[in-house]
Formats: sequence, structure tokens, C-alpha cells
Amino acid sequence: MSATVSMRDALYEAPGPKTRKRVLVGTAISLVLLALGIAFVIRQFYINDQLNPKYWSFFGRWTTWRFLLKGLWGTIKVAATAGVIAMALGLLLMLGRISPNKLLSSACHVITEIFRSLPSLLLIYFFFLVIPKYGIRMPSFWMITIPVSLAASGVLAEVFRAGVNAVPKGQVEAAMSLGMTHGKITRKIVLPQALKIVIPSLVSQLVVVVKDTTVAYVVSYPDLMQNARVLISNYDALVSMYFVVAIIYIAINYATNQFSVYLAHRMGTQVVSRMDENPV
Amino acid sequence: MGVSEVFAEFGDVYLQSLLSTWLMTAVCFAGGLALGILATVLRVSPIKPLRVAGDIYVQLFRNIPTVSLLVIFVYALPYLGLMLSYRTCLLACVILVVSSFASENFMSGINAIGAGQIEAARSIGLSFVQIIRLIVIPQSLRTTVLPMTNLLIATLLTTAMGSQVPLTPPELTGMVNYVNSRSVAGISAFVLSAICYAGTSVVIGFLGNKLDEKVRIVR
Repeated sequence: MSATVSMRDALYEAPGPKTRKRVLVGTAISLVLLALGIAFVIRQFYINDQLNPKYWSFFGRWTTWRFLLKGLWGTIKVAATAGVIAMALGLLLMLGRISPNKLLSSACHVITEIFRSLPSLLLIYFFFLVIPKYGIRMPSFWMITIPVSLAASGVLAEVFRAGVNAVPKGQVEAAMSLGMTHGKITRKIVLPQALKIVIPSLVSQLVVVVKDTTVAYVVSYPDLMQNARVLISNYDALVSMYFVVAIIYIAINYATNQFSVYLAHRMGTQVVSRMDENPV
Repeated sequence: MGVSEVFAEFGDVYLQSLLSTWLMTAVCFAGGLALGILATVLRVSPIKPLRVAGDIYVQLFRNIPTVSLLVIFVYALPYLGLMLSYRTCLLACVILVVSSFASENFMSGINAIGAGQIEAARSIGLSFVQIIRLIVIPQSLRTTVLPMTNLLIATLLTTAMGSQVPLTPPELTGMVNYVNSRSVAGISAFVLSAICYAGTSVVIGFLGNKLDEKVRIVR
């Protein structure tokens, strides 16, 4: 067996005739069970009258999709803006953290940890419920975008730091021996390489940002989920709409994830997610 | 109102909500791990349809926003003949989402072992069950300590979705809403909840790091 064999297959020996027969029987049984499961779900839809065309036919109308696409555009606007802010803020937090200034470094460390350990919903409630009490009014777009970007910036700071750590120490030492300053080393040697390494991870973080934007209805911002809720009350078709919206979100996030895996594969790096970092 | 005044007035509810958040986190993490193990078994089984089903399961629940899943459980399932309490809906959603990430962690733990070890094990005559029990499971568990610690923290943060449905007692994020609708607490309620979340994460992270140092495999 070569090194390219996946662990999934390496676990089993090449099957003999008996095993092959058993696998075949297992395949048949599992296919039947899966088909039964799917049939059960469809039956539940059917006996509860959820397959009635009146719940699905409006998906054939352009106005439905135009309204959903308008919501999707809202989602994209929030996610893109939040992504850019989070990247800038995450980069600043990381640069502060690796700076030789002890005070700045620990301050940035603490801020990073706080943003990473708070649910984005709590931050949204802060901007939605708490800030207006102090007389500050902001449009709903920013009430969703700022908290989402704050939550993401903590994670991105750690992603950037993983990128910086991946740059070989010898290069920094060599630069120091040439008499370059910390700032110059960071700017000319470390950052260009670190940023390239983390590109796939940044793309995969977009998934988290998109997921966080789905609670935009809390601040009544018209994103995909919020517009779907409007359509639900218009057409009185709750089940079909919530399932279609879920599928749209899954498709977007799946595509984003696959794109990040593709980038990582092409660049020969790994995707760093929240799961791979140091917990605290 | 200052933090101390809020605490004096809502201290009891806060304590209940902290305990309820912890309990939900523990239940969801345990349930997520169990379901994640099941999904992983399917994904490495030699039976093709089960592998595909396991892969699809993980991709679905890894990519669906938790709110989207929660509204399906709370509002859509009753139309399909399944009525669950708000808390059950929340727990089920978080467990499904956590299980998909747990399975991904297990899979990368298994993939980190390397086919060479399995071949070596087979060449010294270990049976399939022995290989799984003596080589695959111990090593993949040890490599997944850190990712699972992060998953536990992520589970804690995901239970914040409980603020989107009525729960008694409310969990920590819902508390901000609860306190603010009963008094002019301003920032204090937020600060208290934030301290609870950050404190819990720090403790989980610290313990996870300690455990990881003990069991990590240096490759």
C-alpha cells in the first residue's frame, strides 16, 4: 500500500470472498434502511399535508426568489463587511500581541481571549439592548455587523498568530543578525509569508461569519433569514420556507468550506480553525 | 445600576442561569460526542452507503447555521407531527451540530495515525478488532484532546442560542434580555454574563491544556 491510501481504507485488509459477501449483504441492508428512513421523512411530509403544491408552488415565482435574493444580498453585505473589519482588527490584535512591548502585548492577549470566549449573540445583545440605553443610535446594519466582526476578530487574531508561528524561526534570527528592527522583520519577512499561509483559514472563517449573521432578525436587519420570515407570513408556508432557507445556507457554507480546502491543497498549507488553536 | 446592584437583585436567577448553561453544555457535549462517535464509525465502516450517509450527515450539520436548525425544530417539526419542548429542541440542535464537529475531530485524529502503523500491526498478526482497540482508538483519542477542548468551549458558546426561545431559567445570554426588560441595568447585566462565559472558557481551556500536555503524542 502506498502513502496515498486514506486511513479509511488502510484499516481493512483486501477482503477475501467471505468478507466480500458480508460487505455486500451489509451494503444491501444499509441501503434498504436508508431508503426506509428517507421514505419515513417523505411520509411525514405527506400525511401532514406538507407536500401540498400550495406550500411549494410559490417557489416557481420570480418575485419569491427576488425577495430571497435581496435578503441574501443583505447577508452577503453584512458578512463581507464583518469579514473585512474582523480581518483588520484580528491582524492588529495579533501584531499587538507579538510586539516586544509587554503592556501592549498582554492587553491584546486579554482582548483576543475575551472576544473568543463570548458568544456572538451576547455581543449582538450588547449592541442591541445595552448601547441604545446610553443614547447611542446606530442603524441595524451596524448592530449586527460590529458584534459579528468583534467575535470573529478574536478567532482571526489566533489564526494570524498560527501563520506567524509557521514562519521558520531561523529566518527571523537571520534578519536580526543583519540588524533589522522588530518592525522591519515583521513587515518584510514574517507578515508576507504568514498572510499567505493563512489565506485558506481566512476563507473557512467566512463560514462562521455567515452563520453568525443568521440572527440578524434580532436587530430586524433584512438578511436571508429575516426575509424568509416575511415570506412565511405572506404565503403562510412555514415548513417549506425554513427547509429551503436551510438548504441555501448549507450550500453556501459547504461551497465556502470546499473552496478553502481547495486553496489549502493548492498552496500546500493547512486550514486552521477554532478547533486547532490553543484553547486559552 | 451597577454590577453589584444587579447581582443583589437578580443574583438567584443568575446563579440558576449559570448552572443551567453549564448543565446544557455538559449534556450537549456528551450527547455530541456519543453521536459523533456513531457518525465516525459509519464513516470508516467498509460499507459504502453508510460511509456516504455519515459524510452527508456531517456536512449537513457542520454547515447549517444553528438558528436555522433551531427554527426548523421549534416551528417546522410540529407541522410534521413532532412536538418537542423548547429545551429539548435547543438540546437536540446543539447536539446535532456538536456531533458533526466531533466526528470531524475524530476523523482527523484517525487520519493523523498513518497507514504505516496499521500495516505494521497487521504484519505482526493483530486482528481488526485489536488494531482498532490497541492502536487506532488510543492514539486518536490522545490527539483529539485539544480540538475537543475547543469544541467544549464552542458548545458553551452555542448554548447561547437558547436566548432565541423562551426558557426558564434563561441561560446566560437570555439573561441580558431578562434583566433589561425588568430594570434599567444597562451594561451590568452584559458584564456579568460575559464574566461567566469568559471564566468558564478559561477554566475549560486550562484543564484541556493540562490534559493535553499529559497525553499528547509527539510525532
